[in-house]
Amino acid sequence: MKEIARFHQAVNQPWETAGRIRQTGQKIIGYLCSYAPEELIHAAGCHPMRLFSSGHDILLAENHLQSYCCSLVRGILEDSLAGRLDFLDGTVFPHTCDSMQRLSDIWRINRRHGFFADLVLPVKLTTPGSAVYLEAVLSRFKGDLEAALGTSITDADLENSISLFNQIRTHLSAIHEFRVRYPGRIRGSDMNALVKGAMIMDRDGAATLLSGVVESLQQLPVPDRPAKRLVLAGSVCDTPDLFNTIEAAGGTVVGDDLCSGQRWFDSLVPEDKPPLAALADRYRTRATCPAKHAGLITRADHLLSLVDRTRADGVIFVMLKFCDPHAFDHPYLKECLEAREIRSMALEIDDSRQNQGQLATRIETFIQML
Amino acid sequence: MIFAGIDIGSNTAKAALIKDNTLVGTRVMPTGYHHLKAGTRVFEELMQQTGLSRSDIRTVVATGYGRASIDFADKAMTEILCHGAGACFLDPDIRGIIDVGGQDSKAIALDDQGHVDNFAMNDKCAAGTGRFLEVMANALEVALDQMGDVGLTADNPAKISSICTVFAESEVISMIARQEKRENIIAGIHDAAAARVAILAAKIRIRGPIMMTGGVAKNPGMIAALEKRLNQPLIISPYCQETGAIGAAVLASRM
Repeated sequence: MKEIARFHQAVNQPWETAGRIRQTGQKIIGYLCSYAPEELIHAAGCHPMRLFSSGHDILLAENHLQSYCCSLVRGILEDSLAGRLDFLDGTVFPHTCDSMQRLSDIWRINRRHGFFADLVLPVKLTTPGSAVYLEAVLSRFKGDLEAALGTSITDADLENSISLFNQIRTHLSAIHEFRVRYPGRIRGSDMNALVKGAMIMDRDGAATLLSGVVESLQQLPVPDRPAKRLVLAGSVCDTPDLFNTIEAAGGTVVGDDLCSGQRWFDSLVPEDKPPLAALADRYRTRATCPAKHAGLITRADHLLSLVDRTRADGVIFVMLKFCDPHAFDHPYLKECLEAREIRSMALEIDDSRQNQGQLATRIETFIQML
Repeated sequence: MIFAGIDIGSNTAKAALIKDNTLVGTRVMPTGYHHLKAGTRVFEELMQQTGLSRSDIRTVVATGYGRASIDFADKAMTEILCHGAGACFLDPDIRGIIDVGGQDSKAIALDDQGHVDNFAMNDKCAAGTGRFLEVMANALEVALDQMGDVGLTADNPAKISSICTVFAESEVISMIARQEKRENIIAGIHDAAAARVAILAAKIRIRGPIMMTGGVAKNPGMIAALEKRLNQPLIISPYCQETGAIGAAVLASRM
């Protein structure tokens, strides 16, 4: 499908994508996690661009980071120090895990990329105070953006951006529903490129292309054999080979609880509320990251309901090496799955080249066990 | 009806034939660079050894790291499933397996029907594998097949603190420089490798009886170190190295 190819192209050549956007005169603000309020950046007339590690060898970042730091943080810092992110006009760091916070410190001190903002989000998301506090954090970020760019963001600007990002979420959710209904018809690596691409590309263009994908879904070929249905859970899965390995082993991904997946596009920003309150609302009620807290069993409830809704046969935890928040949650999530007799397996991965033989052996065995 | 299993490991290629749920024969040879050539040769040599021809074989299952290269196999299955089936074939009471091969080590739990229920594998690092022992044997100028016996004569096993093969080797070299007794160093090496494998076993809460499979099960020093770590005896089959190939043949018979 030609629309999907455009997403692959954007994902495979993020620097060229950024270059084309800059040629239009738009400023680019980078962000590092799914709690970044992209709508505000967009409403300020800038392009929000999610940063991933490009996977280059780590040569410069080692001097700045502790060894127990995930490959995402290490790789993004390497890209920055090597000058590969010089297209950035600014960066925003939502307050999530320790490594991200330390990366934010290094970023701020090095001052390589213009505008800089730390968003100190509440850790507990369910208290009445967190709503007021989160809205204040967003309002301050809005003010910082306005001051730095010499512009003003009106409610109408923000409402337009919310509407555009909701369109993207709606399209991605429709594609997700399609993969639940017709497993294996949309390939995992394609779904990954669609979501990742929508975090990188011009959003108007992405929304139009995604709408084209939704319309053409029925044209996708029907797989010749049924596959085991899997849910992926974890932080960031930026390993397209993983999806191919799963599919070669007779499995298919029907849903995920990933920061680079459904956590990013699930649930809409309410369009009938004042825009800042509405943005705060979505962050407080959407699926939570383990660096946030919304109740003792909220994450397990979410995972179990995802497994139920997608009729998954098993769960693969995809954990970045040294990702403490996810590693701490893994035992209890695994127990909750076991209590419901749902099999799971944990894969520790990083951005560097994987040992494909071992990975394939684990995944094949797990799928055979289901 | 005869069924074949071919296991292409990182060091050795193994083949096994079974007929009416009985083992007909096995063969082992070095893998080398070319997986398909090794698989074809070990299979042909085994047929020659047993006086059989290709037309006598109903189904072939390939396993091990080179499983995908065996183009004449009817199916490829992972070595975890094959070691499970192989260990169960050799001893139906087995509920846990420790498989230490050339480049990786695995702990496998079987359910009451003998099916693979859970598993854990070493992650990237070679410590606790056959390769680790090979590197150390080389550094100590001891033949690999002598390592076990030499290690068992230790009077004061050394402590190897590094868990990485490369660092452990330099640690061993410093011990050699300090004129530490060779047998004590070897016993220390076995214990360090066993400690890595025991972590995998604990991860899946392995239960007995446990069979040890893979080429390293031929090393009595490793067996002793592992038995101590796991606090239970290990069952060692004379076919420990061919267990994966046997399991592949068993799974071929179920297709």
